[in-house]
Amino acid sequence: MTTTRQERPAERTVPVGELGFAGGVVALGVFALVRAGSINEPLTAGSMGPRALPYLVGGALVLSGLAVVAAVLRGHRGEAEHGEDVADDEHTDWRVVGMLVALFLVHVFLIIPAGWPVAATVLFSGSAVVLGAKPWWRAIVIGLLLALVLQASFAGGLGVSLPAGPLLEGVSFLRG
Amino acid sequence: MDSFFALMEGFGTALQPQYLFLALVGVFVGTAVGVLPGIGPAMTVALLLPLTYSLDPTGAFIMFAGIYYGGMYGGSTTSILLNTPGESASIITALEGNRMAKAGRGTAALATAAIGSFVAGTFATVGLTFVAPIAAEWAVKLGPVDYVALMILAFLTVGALLGSSIARGLASLSLGLFIGLIGVDQISGQQRFTFGVPVLGDGIDVVLVAVGLFAVGEALYVGSRLRKGPVEVVPISKGWRNWMTREELRLSWKPWLRGTAIGFPIGTIPAGGADVSTFLSYAAEKKLAKGERKEQFGHGAIEGVAGPESANNAAAAGVLVPLLTLGLPTSATAAIMLVVFQQYNIDPGPQLFSGNAALVWALIASLYIGNLMLLVLNLPLVGLWVRVLQIPRHYLYAGILTFAALGAFAVNRIPADVMILLVIGVIGFFMRRVGYPIAPMVVAMILGPMFEAQLRRALSISQGDPVTLVQSPFAVFVYAALGLVFALSLWLKRRERETEEVLEHLEDDELVSTDERSVRS
Amino acid sequence: MTVVVGYVPNELGEAALSAAIDEARRRGCDLVAVNTTRADRLVDPRYAQDAQAEALESRLEASGVPYAVRRFTSTELAADDVLTAATEVGAELIVIGLRHRSPVGKLLMGSTAQSVLLDAECSVLAVKLPRRR
Repeated sequence: MTTTRQERPAERTVPVGELGFAGGVVALGVFALVRAGSINEPLTAGSMGPRALPYLVGGALVLSGLAVVAAVLRGHRGEAEHGEDVADDEHTDWRVVGMLVALFLVHVFLIIPAGWPVAATVLFSGSAVVLGAKPWWRAIVIGLLLALVLQASFAGGLGVSLPAGPLLEGVSFLRG
Repeated sequence: MDSFFALMEGFGTALQPQYLFLALVGVFVGTAVGVLPGIGPAMTVALLLPLTYSLDPTGAFIMFAGIYYGGMYGGSTTSILLNTPGESASIITALEGNRMAKAGRGTAALATAAIGSFVAGTFATVGLTFVAPIAAEWAVKLGPVDYVALMILAFLTVGALLGSSIARGLASLSLGLFIGLIGVDQISGQQRFTFGVPVLGDGIDVVLVAVGLFAVGEALYVGSRLRKGPVEVVPISKGWRNWMTREELRLSWKPWLRGTAIGFPIGTIPAGGADVSTFLSYAAEKKLAKGERKEQFGHGAIEGVAGPESANNAAAAGVLVPLLTLGLPTSATAAIMLVVFQQYNIDPGPQLFSGNAALVWALIASLYIGNLMLLVLNLPLVGLWVRVLQIPRHYLYAGILTFAALGAFAVNRIPADVMILLVIGVIGFFMRRVGYPIAPMVVAMILGPMFEAQLRRALSISQGDPVTLVQSPFAVFVYAALGLVFALSLWLKRRERETEEVLEHLEDDELVSTDERSVRS
Repeated sequence: MTVVVGYVPNELGEAALSAAIDEARRRGCDLVAVNTTRADRLVDPRYAQDAQAEALESRLEASGVPYAVRRFTSTELAADDVLTAATEVGAELIVIGLRHRSPVGKLLMGSTAQSVLLDAECSVLAVKLPRRR
């Protein structure tokens, strides 16, 4: 499977995802058009105020979104991207996507209370296991090592301090 | 002659040990990541953006230039060894190069790709050296009206021509423009689309958008449809003597030069990036081949590797001309290079050559150096690149997510940025699923605010009269050129499709053996 | 009864295979060669490619020992595949290759050989290559 732009036969009958995304684009455009009116336009703003481009962009969103909807309904389907690691025939594994997003959320909320190294270990090891790493403890060991190396090199070498967190606060080379 | 002395001074800077080291790191990292499956040059540069927080501008640009050239290069190694092209620019190399490798001439394929990339990269950099200052000198005279025209050109070409459907490209473009609007308007100080959230007041950092779309979106997308099954690597014969026979060299040198001549000009115009040039070069080589050699196409013709690989690299250098002289990115990677400039508050454009001459010339000098390093590094290190291919996918993509989160957090050191990164990443995931091109969104997000500023400046000079926008002769010329570029690009796209159809026919017999293998294993 | 060998297409794997053939002959039983991949990377040098698998079969054929080759894509670790195969055929001996490893490498990479040694329900023959001089 080496070509990237083959036409795919439209097998699924209703392209929910495609219509959904295009609908989202239209909705965002409508929202932009409505909200653009409530942007304060200073009277002294001269010829072109802060509202003009929002109106333009809102219009462009609506029009391009509608154009995609029309194209999809006429059978011109969008084509999912190809890649070296993407299987052409596999169906979408929503569980994996959901778990990855969840891990990312946990990471966001762990950075400050637990420190960056811990949060990064959770993100790396968790994602690796979700994506199929075995055995799980090896993923954790590698994640922890990676997080500590990054923490140390960013704090020490690059001068970007990441919060070390309560567990590792005392370790001098992990602080910026 | 001025530019010659300036270039020599650039070499003086770039040859300092610390910059040489950064260039070496750049080409090494660039090639390694280029070899890695699923990571393109755009994602590499995006993921390494945090480094700009600690490097000086010159060092950062030298390193990013190395990554840029290295990434272009690494892709060809993978496609010759594995027959799984990542970027569309490598499809041709995959086809002919992999056949050559299977016929036992893998080393020759790698060598002709390496030397061709070097030749093309060097000639194209020479082209850049002479064209860029002239273009910049002329670009200084441009007014806001002309910039408005140029940006409309960039928007429409990038939006409509990158990707398979014009409507989706324009939707992606509009989404990028919308994100660019979020925050406080720079001129009037009014809040726009901030939803009352303080974090959004300063706008969304462009680093978050670039990393979110290119890294997080990609990792989520690959995670959702992870490929299973190892691929066969073609064994490469060792030894210097085996690299290229005299005959293969004789067949290669003309395609190298032709590829350069095709690639560089195509890179400079916003016509859809490097992959178009590879298809054109392949078609040209096939047409020019005579008799027996013509039969060889589709069965491992060395001209079919030499030409497109050279065209690919020459186009990569060509892309830098509009980026450095006008500040216009014409590819996704160029867009992220533009972000690197913005991180240092440097506006690429005509002022770059007068205001930051030392930096630009050091950057151009380092392109020469990086090219030479790539040639020296790559052939002996093929074994190492094959080892890189053994990294398990789960660690690879977990690492991409972690680096992306790190980069987002390092922007302002607030977790809210990582949250925004995730949201943009999810958008990028859905865009990939339903076939929207990513690059227009990033380009629009970067150029949008600049576009608005120039447009308002132009209109306030004319006191609100929109006719001003078509009164400058240059702007009129640009709008005419826009029409021309569209016509030309549509023609190029058709040629590309035709070549692809030919390729598909060639691939049919290949597919049979692949299927057999997967059934048996 | 059966001898199970964990086969890898390299020098060590060939050594393990030789030892396994000898054992099978001596014990007068048949031989099962196991070679699997988790298919989680682009290149897995420990998985026999088609040509290598053919070479393996012809070598087994020439040995005269009754044999079977289990070569497939697995979701489990290689060690578990070998152990599963051993349990299924009721193996009396498992033959594996054992590499030289530093303690740090051991910690990071884990070891297929170690899990087989620890978890096997029958005897295990660990084959080593002579250290290179």
